[in-house]
Amino acid sequence: MSYCFFFWDPHSGAVVCVESEIRGDVTIGPRTVVHPKARIIAEAGPIIIGEGNLIEEQALIINSYPENIMPDTEGVEPKTMTIGINNVFEVGCVSQALKIGDNNVIESKADLGKNVILTSGCIVGACCQVNTCEVIPENTVIYGSNCMRRVQTERPQPQTLQLDFLMKILPNYHHMKKTVKGTSTPVRN
Amino acid sequence: MSGTVQMEWHQTPGNQVDSHYCPSCLENMPSAEAKLKKNRCANCFDCPCCMHTLSTRATNIPAPLPDDPSKTTMKKAYYLACGFCRWTSRDVGMADKSVASGGWQEPDNPHTQRINKLIEYYQQLAQREKLERDRKKLARRRPYMPLAFSQHTIHVVEKYGLGTRLQRQRPGAPITSLAGLSLKEGEDQKEINIEPAQALDEVEPLPEDCYTRPINLPEVTSLRQRLLQPDFQPAGASQLHPKHKHLLIKRSLRCRKCEHNLSKPEFNPTSIKFKIQLVAVSYIPEVRIMSIPNLRFQKECQVLLTLTNPVENITHVTLVGCEEGDPEDINSTAKVMVPTKELVLAGKDAAADYDELAEPQDFQDDPDVVAFRKSNKIGFFIKVVPQREEDGDVTVSFKIRHDFRNLAAPIRPSEEGDAPTEAIWLTHHVELSLGPIIA
Repeated sequence: MSYCFFFWDPHSGAVVCVESEIRGDVTIGPRTVVHPKARIIAEAGPIIIGEGNLIEEQALIINSYPENIMPDTEGVEPKTMTIGINNVFEVGCVSQALKIGDNNVIESKADLGKNVILTSGCIVGACCQVNTCEVIPENTVIYGSNCMRRVQTERPQPQTLQLDFLMKILPNYHHMKKTVKGTSTPVRN
Repeated sequence: MSGTVQMEWHQTPGNQVDSHYCPSCLENMPSAEAKLKKNRCANCFDCPCCMHTLSTRATNIPAPLPDDPSKTTMKKAYYLACGFCRWTSRDVGMADKSVASGGWQEPDNPHTQRINKLIEYYQQLAQREKLERDRKKLARRRPYMPLAFSQHTIHVVEKYGLGTRLQRQRPGAPITSLAGLSLKEGEDQKEINIEPAQALDEVEPLPEDCYTRPINLPEVTSLRQRLLQPDFQPAGASQLHPKHKHLLIKRSLRCRKCEHNLSKPEFNPTSIKFKIQLVAVSYIPEVRIMSIPNLRFQKECQVLLTLTNPVENITHVTLVGCEEGDPEDINSTAKVMVPTKELVLAGKDAAADYDELAEPQDFQDDPDVVAFRKSNKIGFFIKVVPQREEDGDVTVSFKIRHDFRNLAAPIRPSEEGDAPTEAIWLTHHVELSLGPIIA
């Protein structure tokens, strides 16, 4: 059972493929593309995704319960996961970070823990696991098997070309999830 | 292979550098050119941050037209970028270039002049030493030996890399590599004097906020990053300039005793084949483990091995267990009983896969010993009794004795006409690691 708000409109809405799995209270902003087999799961609270994001195949964005709390404990407040604009979640990455800013790139098979907060312009390299409890400063690049870090001078460019291309081409090959535009009542999937 | 048959496995064969090539652009270069360029590729760069190969990227920047400064057109600008750590040449302040390749300069070393002078001085010193030794040697040696080719003089020439007149650079120009070309006779002996290095009493003091200033950690270079640029060894990441990529070599191997070429790769860097490839695998029957039952301490187990014949004629193989006190038998932890009869292996027939009507050869195998036979391969049993109950793999060893016919050697013309080549019997030590004991 899932309640999703998203607006599918080829000009200003999000493009969400029907093979993607979206569970829970998820809001997806316009111009965001969600590939098939991506999974966005809002277990312990809602997820709000901004605009211009690119969520590729087998990416997992999950707002999960903390490890030591059972799902049906009372008194646990749902925490909202916020994801900003122009982020890229590459193939196979896992993100549990509760707050992600703008213009970040999370490369393939990267793993973000629950207590990480990404600001803007960060790049988490392929296969890097970041599960420290910290705020990653702006424009940080995390790379390598030892998760070395360095600061870059420019933030990664937003993938406008790729997004435009996908928004045109994906509907030709996949079915899209449809919903009613602009209503406040939740729609069943 | 020459007249001697010798297996080179206990001694490492002599290594020689065969060719130089760049691993990213696969450009071949002769050894002399490689030495001149300090074994670096001219086109490719390494990221100073993570040491991966840099790629050239292009952007469009608006630039004013030369005729009409008020209008702007899009011009292409190139910069270097690393795909792994996202370093770009703009991070260290290198301006974008308008040509795709060849525009990137490495920064000059401020100590170039001094180093050049020192090299010249030492080259002269080495030359003097060489003349002295030659004079001494000439007194003792026979008069018809050429002067330049004594062993000692060659070493001395190479010591500081004597350059010819053409190569001696003007001070201030970039350092050339120490190309080891011999000095021409009759070269003018210009005296070069160098000033000795002066020790200073006063050293530049540390900055006052050395202990109080907070460290900007991303700006500090790691030791590896620093030492890869020995000219500058920058402490700050904003001074890390890219270096040219190091060349790799292909090497050829030689037998130490008879100087025969054993392995010589192709010159072309894109080809992995060999011009000469004399490896033991293509002459000696190969033992492989096919199946291992559960190994138990001090219980007899039967292990199935296969023997494959790599040559085209029939090979006879005898297996013998190792004797007590065998110097090669150091690792075995189990007793092994090998088949006592001689095993016969059929020759390798390249067309066997396609020729279904070929008659199976009749070898009359003992079913207790030979499990199966398939073209040039047989499977046979050995009995293993693990002797040590410990962690670690059960290791057995035995000797394999087979006949070898050297078909590559020229057949001596004999009176009987077609004499078959004689078989040489070779014995090798085989060690098998069979895995852990399962309790």
